Amino acid sequence: MSTLEKPFKIEDLLQRNIWDVDEEPHIEIPLDDQEGLKKKALALLCPAGCYTLIGDRLIFSYEGCVECGLCRIITPSDKIRWTYPRSGKGVTYRYT
Amino acid sequence: MGDVGRKVPERFDVIVVGAGPAGCAASYMLAKSGFKVLLLERGRGPGSKELYGGRIYAQPLRDVWPDLDKKAPIHRWVTKERFSFTWGSRVVTLEYRVGRSVSFTTYLPEMAKWMADRATEAGALLVDEVVVDDIVVRDGRVVGVRSGTDFLRADVVIDAEGVNRILLEKLGLAERLDPGKVAIGAKEVLRVGEGAINDRLGLSKKEGLAWLVAGDVTEGVPGGGFIYTMKDTISVGIVLHVGRAVEAAEKGFLRTSIHGMVEKLRLHNYFKQIWGDADVVEYGGHLTIEGGLGLVPKKLYMDGFLVVGDAAGLLLNTGYTIRGVDFAVTSGKLAAETVVEAFNVGGPTEENLSVYESKLKSSFVWRELVKHRGISEIMSDPYYFTVLPALLTSLLKKLFEADYEEPTIMDAVFEAASEEDISIAKLLLKLASVVGRV
Amino acid sequence: MAGYRVVVGIKWVPNTQAVRFDPKTGTLIRQGVPAIINPQDLHAIEMALRLRDAYGGEVIVITMAPPPAVQGLEHAIGMGADRAILVTDRSFAGADTLATSYVLARAINKVEREIGRVDLAVFGQETIDSSTAHIGAQVASWLGWPYIYYVKQASLSNGSLRVVRQLEDVIEEYEAKLPAVISVLAKALRPRHVSLLNKLRARTERPIITWTNKDLGLDTRCVGLKGSPTIVAKVTYLPEVPRLKKVHKAENPREAARWLLKNLLSDEKTRDLIARALWGEGSA
Ligand SMILES: Cc1cc2nc3c(=O)[nH]c(=O)nc-3n(C[C@H](O)[C@H](O)[C@H](O)COP(=O)(O)OP(=O)(O)OC[C@H]3O[C@@H](n4cnc5c(N)ncnc54)[C@H](O)[C@@H]3O)c2cc1C
Ligand SMILES: Cc1cc2nc3c(=O)[nH]c(=O)nc-3n(C[C@H](O)[C@H](O)[C@H](O)COP(=O)(O)OP(=O)(O)OC[C@H]3O[C@@H](n4cnc5c(N)ncnc54)[C@H](O)[C@@H]3O)c2cc1C
Ligand code: SF4
Repeated sequence: MSTLEKPFKIEDLLQRNIWDVDEEPHIEIPLDDQEGLKKKALALLCPAGCYTLIGDRLIFSYEGCVECGLCRIITPSDKIRWTYPRSGKGVTYRYT
Repeated sequence: MGDVGRKVPERFDVIVVGAGPAGCAASYMLAKSGFKVLLLERGRGPGSKELYGGRIYAQPLRDVWPDLDKKAPIHRWVTKERFSFTWGSRVVTLEYRVGRSVSFTTYLPEMAKWMADRATEAGALLVDEVVVDDIVVRDGRVVGVRSGTDFLRADVVIDAEGVNRILLEKLGLAERLDPGKVAIGAKEVLRVGEGAINDRLGLSKKEGLAWLVAGDVTEGVPGGGFIYTMKDTISVGIVLHVGRAVEAAEKGFLRTSIHGMVEKLRLHNYFKQIWGDADVVEYGGHLTIEGGLGLVPKKLYMDGFLVVGDAAGLLLNTGYTIRGVDFAVTSGKLAAETVVEAFNVGGPTEENLSVYESKLKSSFVWRELVKHRGISEIMSDPYYFTVLPALLTSLLKKLFEADYEEPTIMDAVFEAASEEDISIAKLLLKLASVVGRV
Repeated sequence: MAGYRVVVGIKWVPNTQAVRFDPKTGTLIRQGVPAIINPQDLHAIEMALRLRDAYGGEVIVITMAPPPAVQGLEHAIGMGADRAILVTDRSFAGADTLATSYVLARAINKVEREIGRVDLAVFGQETIDSSTAHIGAQVASWLGWPYIYYVKQASLSNGSLRVVRQLEDVIEEYEAKLPAVISVLAKALRPRHVSLLNKLRARTERPIITWTNKDLGLDTRCVGLKGSPTIVAKVTYLPEVPRLKKVHKAENPREAARWLLKNLLSDEKTRDLIARALWGEGSA
């Protein structure tokens, strides 16, 4: 069976894009105090799967972020530092 | 030695933030009228951060670029519209063969690059890889933009930053985006091959198809799937109402991730016939406006300032069509006309720029948004995304999956309703309210 | 000119993050892969800019590459470099490190003749697409200048250079007479971002010069493919290691590490696979 007949994991999908990932994260979210975060929603709705729930703790990695802005608007603004990557870094779409 | 060129300018007539359709249209029109225009874009080249569905309505773009049909990177003219309801393995599909094609498919990055090229050919200057951090206001007047520690002066700033209107929020003209008024989209591009697309969908050369899908592909969350044919690829994606999706996820009703839903659609037995085992060549996501007038900011202008496109909340999503690009281009054009006229009557004061709002309100963009303003309530009601597809597919099952005796249509409706536990009275009430609204 | 003139060499490399396997054929897809500045070279640019900001002078970025690399030079000017030179010629194509370093060294000589004295040449540690780490050393040899690699910090005074370099287990300090060549330790610094006014300058003033071999006048036997004595004798692909897909829910990191080690070494098949991946077929 070809790998194309099974669902891809998010990493396999993101790997198809062109990236120039900044060494500095452009989004930061506190790991210590997760009160008030919409954890399940972040884990399911971030299109790049940057948020992972392990038990009831959220883990975040900015590398695959496609800069959609969803997490910014569903997280209390004092719980997230959200900016665009600078210098043209991040994802570069060729098709879409 | 070398090609040492112009001196670095210290100010511009107009700075446009964002090289999307709205910003490019405004820059093109202004540069053509002789204005000194700077177009700023955060991505690596125009369009590089752009993701949308796949189809653009042509006429509003021809108003800006009359040579659109000949020169623009048009992939296919949409001649087939399909709409499907899905419920499990059951699918109901409606197809409409278009008499006169009014829309075309293309990639948005490619299209944005084309529009930006028109703007720079007309004399606008494009600077990419730069994030604008603030639109700078002094004594109630917009005087320029700030990026990092750099400030650059302009007589007018046009905000074309798109749906994530961070600058507009900072200016105090818009609230933080309300999750109830936006949708999140995720999309894959599949390399299918031009011939295979034509054969499998019954299209001839340059003919395209636009296909919207509603039902359990979104697992009960208001939203839908979309499928568009490009020249040799097919775009497949899912859009979810953010407010509703967050609610469903937090309550535990929603279990599939949005990328999981896109993958399910790609692997759906009924749809996958069309692309077979075509490779995924790109994947991404973007926010979009749910539609209606709900995201239009308090004010569309200030002294020295105008806001256009998605940033101005101008997008129509009726559930069967989504019109963002042509609205963006039209608002960009109207903003440019306003600026040109303002300079003829004394400058870009708040009063002179207020003409933009009246121009917009008498344009087709506003008329469409007003006409369809009831739609957003329907589009966010889970009822229509569960009950209707369930009933419809169940009804057709009754009609077509009979071994011996076929029911009458009325019998089938009632049987299907009771099987899916749907109250016909409530359904009729809901349908009546839809008719009332649209 | 007061201060120091620093030349930075950058390489325009295919974005290897965009190179991937075709799931059907199992071969690498490089088609349509766009290029970026070799990531480590951003650190070289940053070091040069810091020296200029501290002591005055100018930073000239130079690359030997096909014309699309202008994009990378604009990016470097966007970061704050004063000017840039694109060294490009059909006859330079197919160069190995010897031919590349020769052209770069001669271009630096030309900078000295036409723009003025060069005090320092700065390179990245190595590239992501070839990673030989030859270029810095070879340019230094052609020029007859001292060379220090893995540089983490640099300062200038009175015609000499002081650097801190970091090796695996020691930190060393060196002093060298200018002019000199250094290559910067990977991830040593925090490269600055493109700024609005600098990028605007890149697009308007266009402080980018192009030199072809007409300008450099190098013997075509010494450049490009013809000037490249290196030959690829053999390429061996390492066998792909199949995954066992075991998942272990660890209690803590220590326990996880212990589990991993135990599993890797106790299972004969896994041990074989590791050996073969490391030393090739038949080594188990
Ligand atoms: C999933 C999905 C499907 C869609 N389908 C369709 C469709 O089929 N047809 C249709 O017509 N519309 C569709 N749309 C909507 C359409 O994409 C938008 O309406 C349209 O792109 C809006 O154009 P714009 O120029 O206003 O904003 P955008 O296209 O978003 O452009 C904004 C630009 O500004 C840049 N920018 C943002 N902030 C900054 C900053 N601070 N500094 C510098 N640059 C900045 C961005 O990088 C971007 O290039 C869809 C949208 C989505 C998400
Ligand atoms: C046998 C062989 C055959 C090759 N054949 C070809 C070929 O046919 N076509 C081809 O394109 N390449 C070819 N290459 C690759 C090419 O020789 C090297 O990529 C190039 O010489 C630089 O070496 P490197 O990438 O290992 O740089 P390194 O020595 O690892 O780079 C160190 C630093 O030198 C600087 N630098 C490197 N390259 C440049 C440059 N071009 N301009 C300015 N500064 C630079 C950067 O600062 C970099 O960080 C070949 C290499 C070998 C070994
Ligand atoms: S911006 Fe979008 S893609 Fe990036 S982390 Fe947030 S939700 Fe995910």
